[in-house]
Amino acid sequence: MRPFHLLSFIRILCTLSWLLWSASGFGSAYEAPLPSQLSTDPDLCAYAPCKDVIPGADAFSPRKGRPTYVEAYRNTGERDDKHPETNSARRELIGYVFLSTDIVDIPGYSGKPVVTLIGMDTRGVITGARILKHSEPILLVGIPEEKLTKFIGQYVGKFAGSKVEIGTARADGDSIGLDAISGATVTVIAQNQVMMRSSYAIAKQVGIIKADPKVPARFVPSAETQDWPALLADGLIRHLRVRPDEVGVADSGEPYIDMYFGYLNVPVVGRSVLGPENWQRLMADLKPDEHALFIVANGTASFKGSGFVRGGIYDRIQVVQDVDTHTFRDTDYLNLYGIAAAGAPTYRESGIFILRGGNFSAAYPWSLVFLANKLDQQTGTKTFANFDREYWLPARTLEGGRPEIVKPAPTWLRIWQAKLSQIIGLILLLAATATLYAMRDRLVRRATRKDKRWVSIPKYLIWTLSAGFIGFYSLAQPSITQILTWFHSLVFHWRWELFLSDPLIFIFWMFIIVTVFIWGRGLFCGWLCPYGALSEISFKIAGALGLKRFQFHLPMRWHDRLKWLKYGIFALLVVVSFYSMSTAERMAEVEPFKSTFFVGGVWNRTWPFVLYWVMLAVAGLFIERPFCKYLCPLGAGLAMPTTFRWFALKRKAECETCHACQKGCGSLAIEDTGRIDQRECLLCLECQILYYDDHTCPPLTKERRRRTRSGLELTPIGADGYYIPIKPIVARTMEETDREALNKSVRAEPVEAQVASALGFDKLSPNGVVLDQRFHR
Amino acid sequence: MSEKRIRLLPHYADDYHSLRRLAWEVWDHLWPWSRHSFRRGRFAVALSFGLATVVTAVWVLAAVGRVASNATLGWWIGWSVFEVLVRLESKPYIKDGPWWGRNYRSANLMDMICYVSFKNLLIAALLFLAIRVLKALAWIGG
Ligand code: SF4
Ligand code: SF4
Repeated sequence: MRPFHLLSFIRILCTLSWLLWSASGFGSAYEAPLPSQLSTDPDLCAYAPCKDVIPGADAFSPRKGRPTYVEAYRNTGERDDKHPETNSARRELIGYVFLSTDIVDIPGYSGKPVVTLIGMDTRGVITGARILKHSEPILLVGIPEEKLTKFIGQYVGKFAGSKVEIGTARADGDSIGLDAISGATVTVIAQNQVMMRSSYAIAKQVGIIKADPKVPARFVPSAETQDWPALLADGLIRHLRVRPDEVGVADSGEPYIDMYFGYLNVPVVGRSVLGPENWQRLMADLKPDEHALFIVANGTASFKGSGFVRGGIYDRIQVVQDVDTHTFRDTDYLNLYGIAAAGAPTYRESGIFILRGGNFSAAYPWSLVFLANKLDQQTGTKTFANFDREYWLPARTLEGGRPEIVKPAPTWLRIWQAKLSQIIGLILLLAATATLYAMRDRLVRRATRKDKRWVSIPKYLIWTLSAGFIGFYSLAQPSITQILTWFHSLVFHWRWELFLSDPLIFIFWMFIIVTVFIWGRGLFCGWLCPYGALSEISFKIAGALGLKRFQFHLPMRWHDRLKWLKYGIFALLVVVSFYSMSTAERMAEVEPFKSTFFVGGVWNRTWPFVLYWVMLAVAGLFIERPFCKYLCPLGAGLAMPTTFRWFALKRKAECETCHACQKGCGSLAIEDTGRIDQRECLLCLECQILYYDDHTCPPLTKERRRRTRSGLELTPIGADGYYIPIKPIVARTMEETDREALNKSVRAEPVEAQVASALGFDKLSPNGVVLDQRFHR
Repeated sequence: MSEKRIRLLPHYADDYHSLRRLAWEVWDHLWPWSRHSFRRGRFAVALSFGLATVVTAVWVLAAVGRVASNATLGWWIGWSVFEVLVRLESKPYIKDGPWWGRNYRSANLMDMICYVSFKNLLIAALLFLAIRVLKALAWIGG
């Protein structure tokens, strides 16, 4: 590209990005900067709008409890500044306010938590919720933030102990159903867990909810002891390691924390780790509902932390069972003087912790959670992260074995189940399109330049289904942001759940990746991309309605320059994404997909988006797919690997000088040399129709006329695009002939062509003349 | 076929022995230089240009605080730029069609950018997976 064009392009792009950026929701909670004191300061409500989530509150207590919350009060009389000690007597406790990130660490679609402030009254009923910050790409896929606010609003009036599910409530009446936000399933499922778990944890802590008692564990009596490796192998001791990069600190060669832990009440663990006498003594000191566990650790961090010195609470470790969280105070701590089991590692830090009551049962699985502050290298801010390891006693240590537990299906699986019919529909459409395209030779042979119905009817049908079903109904338009997200996951942190959480996009992408390598990007772009299909449909309709005479191609010299724009945009997005993913995602608004499919009509967006969308749509009535040709970063991203597609379109030697196909190529993908630029080709098959059309393709027309004039037979057109030469052969059986033809095709044709010929291209002329299919020039 | 075009195709283009040809291809994927390119002065230009890109990329990425992963990425981008320039000089061809075929053709700049970026992406993905496996093994080993 010449420097002038590059500069103009960058200028245009910057202006566009600025316009879109400024229109896309400043002042929203998206990546809103929060004061660092919000998660640490005792006066939570000095930094958060507590009054908004609990109507009627006048005053708030400092943070208290574990996990933390604040109490909300309403004054019941006049303040008396002369006797302030009496003020508290004139106020009434009306509820609690808490910050979700103080309680749970549940990432949303973005991998970061949605910071939510929640209010709850003294009966455990949620009174309000405000999202203070989120990083969900919800805005970027065109869903207005009000939808998220409206979704959160549905929790007001719900009891903290209810079972709330997304979608319709279950028939057994056991749960309450909430309306989801279409296109943001992962966000709402994660947010549902955030809302309900946080509220439950606080309601339980302040005594509103009493947990269902669990059946206590009964251990099989045993005098057995085991060495350390055996205990580890049996899962009686578990290992939890956190690497420095997982919490954003520099790698010093040592793990951040490297902990081993186990449950001491069970005889085999207690005897092995403490020695029989010490264990007997410890057990004699414990009350029936008390549990002992030990932790030993190495690493640069401490599991004891420094918090307990200040508040008497160990703030780095927790035991979590179901929705119950157990923390330890300094009075729950005992020294661990040594480990009796042979083969134990050396350790820097150790302790025995007593878990007192609180509805814990060792018969069920529980997790030891290590809480850490994670440093975001990019912004320098600290976020809360937890790392856990599950512990469940083996069946042989429990009388009656392990109790039966029904674990809820993982979130991604539930989404797949919920969208089953759409998934089947998409798979059928993709399979039908691929099959049809694999049979293209049959279709293009039947079509001619004047009558293209064999190709155009299936294509129009697929375009309609693609725009309607994939685009508008299923909101499964692939986007460049997905490539960026995948690229980042590959480099930084791969999360399968993230990709599986959107089944339609996942399946579509698998299809795209495979077909790009087989046929090139044209199958997706030319046949299946919902926006591409919509552009084609509108271009064709405009033509049919009389605009045909105004429809035009840009001059080749312009096209050859402008087509590089999309590669520039693609490269820019990739580079920017490594500086800031959210900036890249906003810049990806260059794709009009969100305005088209996600917002329920482009008119629901702000004016710069509408203007941009209308400009593209109007241009698309006169120029075939202007966005695809010059701007689409996704098309560019797919065009690059198309360089390596396996099966090319057919060309003849004469294509080098004959420009008949070039004129009809709507994508302007045929070069003057006759070569097809596979990166630009959208596999419309126009040129392939001409390839077999003996009334249009010049070498075929010439040969047809020659044969007709000489009274020679018009043999079928071979796979090489020429009439099969007439070559009489004597005294050969049909069987031999068949075998030879088959051998030849096996030697000469690629696999795909073999499949095509197996589908019925006959190599015999009706009069028994053998048709030689070798290349004839 | 012109002499220039013949020079632009690999010497094994007409080798019907598939395994030998594929072995040559693997060598070509991993080693961008040819004897011919070493004799040319543009090599030095390409080298300095590539290295300058690396330094800039690593510097910028380090400046935004993504040292570890981005430094690697910077190297990757820098190396790819360098490799494109070297290959255009020394091995200016790519293969069309299926990997088992012999359809070599001379490459233009965009072909080469696509080839190099994609090949290096695959190599990076393989290295990434190898690192993952090694990390997992180290973890299992204690
Ligand atoms: S170029 Fe972009 S918009 Fe056009 S069909 Fe391809 S992906 Fe869709
Ligand atoms: S006419 Fe041929 S080269 Fe042009 S887009 Fe259609 S299939 Fe591709």
